[in-house]
Amino acid sequence: MIIGSNLAKIYGKGSVEVRALDGVDISIRKGEFVGITGASGSGKSTLLHLLGLLDRPTSGSLIIDGVEVASLNERQRTLFRLNRLGYVFQDYALVPELTAEENIYLPSKVRGMTVKECTRACRDILGLVGLKDRVSFLPGEMSGGEQQRVAIARALINNPAILLADEPCANLDTRNSTVILELIRKLNKELDQTVVMVSHEEWHQKYFDRVVVMQDGKIVSGGE
Amino acid sequence: MLEEEQVAFFLASRLITRGNKGTLLLTIMIIAMVFVNLIFLPSIIAGIVVLFNQQNIDYSYGNLVIEPREDQLLITRVGELQQKINRVPGVVASTPRYSGAATIVSKGKSTTPLLIAINPDDEKQVLKIHTGIASGDYLNDGDTGQILIGTTLAGNKDQTVDRTPTLGGVDVGKTVEVTFRNGVTRQYRIKGIIASGQFSVDSSAFITRKELDSVLGTTDTANQILVRTQTTGKEEAMRITLMQYGIQEKIWTWQDKSADFLKSIVGSFDIINVISTIVSLVIAVVVIFIVIFINTVYRRKQIGILQAIGIDRSIIIKSYIFQALFIFASGTLAGCALLFVLLQYLTASPLVFPGGPVAPVLEPMLLFRAIASLFIVSLIAGFLPSWLTTREDLLSAIRG
Ligand SMILES: Nc1ncnc2c1ncn2[C@@H]1O[C@H](COP(=O)(O)OP(=O)(O)OP(=O)(O)O)[C@@H](O)[C@H]1O
Ligand SMILES: [Mg+2]
Repeated sequence: MIIGSNLAKIYGKGSVEVRALDGVDISIRKGEFVGITGASGSGKSTLLHLLGLLDRPTSGSLIIDGVEVASLNERQRTLFRLNRLGYVFQDYALVPELTAEENIYLPSKVRGMTVKECTRACRDILGLVGLKDRVSFLPGEMSGGEQQRVAIARALINNPAILLADEPCANLDTRNSTVILELIRKLNKELDQTVVMVSHEEWHQKYFDRVVVMQDGKIVSGGE
Repeated sequence: MLEEEQVAFFLASRLITRGNKGTLLLTIMIIAMVFVNLIFLPSIIAGIVVLFNQQNIDYSYGNLVIEPREDQLLITRVGELQQKINRVPGVVASTPRYSGAATIVSKGKSTTPLLIAINPDDEKQVLKIHTGIASGDYLNDGDTGQILIGTTLAGNKDQTVDRTPTLGGVDVGKTVEVTFRNGVTRQYRIKGIIASGQFSVDSSAFITRKELDSVLGTTDTANQILVRTQTTGKEEAMRITLMQYGIQEKIWTWQDKSADFLKSIVGSFDIINVISTIVSLVIAVVVIFIVIFINTVYRRKQIGILQAIGIDRSIIIKSYIFQALFIFASGTLAGCALLFVLLQYLTASPLVFPGGPVAPVLEPMLLFRAIASLFIVSLIAGFLPSWLTTREDLLSAIRG
């Protein structure tokens, strides 16, 4: 359960201040697949950064799974990201020197699983995203779609409360985008995984349970 | 806590094994060179100092030098004193000398070097001058009418080559005329030419004490007794032992005798050494730093992403420290190998200084200092850039 109230993010100061987010109220229930759309510069990424604890709001409150995130210090925020959040970036952002498996292994090992448990979990999750036969491939040896699926697996390895994805299909063609969207949809349905995904593609919307529309730093519909 | 190190090590090992091999190799090579540079010159200098010291002991002073008592000009009853000295435990041998200026003339060329009267057999047990005979023979105890001439004193036929007054290229078998302080003049046949490499020896002349006694009419006198002890380096203790055995003459160690000369040389070498060490270290710092810094800056985005997915900065910093330590360890190892090859080469074809070949002296302290300083530099070079990068704003790091 995510509850953001009156969230604001203001860049700059004085006369040149930019209200990237301007009084956003949003709540997301467990198991929901929420899509965020809106024009470029409307504040979609900014909101996702706040939800992903990659950035702090200028004002407002954000409660994720009952935790007021403003109360966390830097180390606790990192831990929170590790244990409760999964983040998927537009450009996959895998470590190029690590194989598919090792990329996923990293956050699970940090969380304190034994090597055996990690390896098992990594294989399982790579199977889930359909990359059983890419286990020991380096990112440079995989297609964009495959890399993004590894990134999704990495985001999911620690069973996060929310999977956050900022335009995960932006660098992919329609066929690969469909694969990713189908995959996320499947994870959402089968694992009851809460998903918040930013997309400005009209045709993506059929996958979402709910569409949040943003404009000029405000939610104009779907915020609930 | 060990969990963190495990992950950091895992990350570091992958970044090293799958990263750019060329850069890695180059960095390791540079560290190796710096390591060699940190060790090599100081060890040569240490070798030179050891050589100088050994030369002083072997050709000029022995370990201890005994000189006349406070208010006396000569040591008298030398034979008795020598027996007393030789009985002291730790003493190998002693050799009395009577040295003074004398004028030597050969074919109209005249110069006034130090003329040293010796007991050849005693000398052989204390000094190594007898090993430096370039031509002819060394003196024997009973020799009269014979003289040894140092090669510098003997000089060259081509006078322009000589930097000090010489006899103009005299040789074995020729006769020179020596005028002593008391005005006595005698003819001597040159028995041998000495080329020891030690200037003070090679610019002197030697006759037997027996000969000098017949000239001066003295018996059993000397102005120095040189003493060879079993171990070098314990001269101060031996000096005290000799005093305890009732030697009332002045006792100097070879260090006392050669202090000024040696200190100034060692001092200059030390300055060269310090400068070279500092330069090497600065190069090491800059190189390790630049390489790791560029590496971290280049991976700024990746470091941001690792933090974004929940990898704590301490893990990231540690992984960069591990990488730096790996570079340090391989660099040092490669440096050791390089050094070994270099030392092998120098043993095969040594650097020859006046006085003999210089063997590089590898002091453990020197090795330790080089390794420790490189270690610390690597640690800082691993820590600082990653510390700075992980301190940055997460979002701007991720944006790249
Ligand atoms: N670091 C920053 N400094 C100043 N202004 C910023 C900064 N980051 C974002 N902004 C501003 O905040 C506003 C919202 O940006 P945001 O990235 O959230 O838009 P977006 O909806 O994700 O757009 P897009 O669809 O192009 O990704 C924009 O006007 C942008 O210029
Ligand atoms: Mg955006």
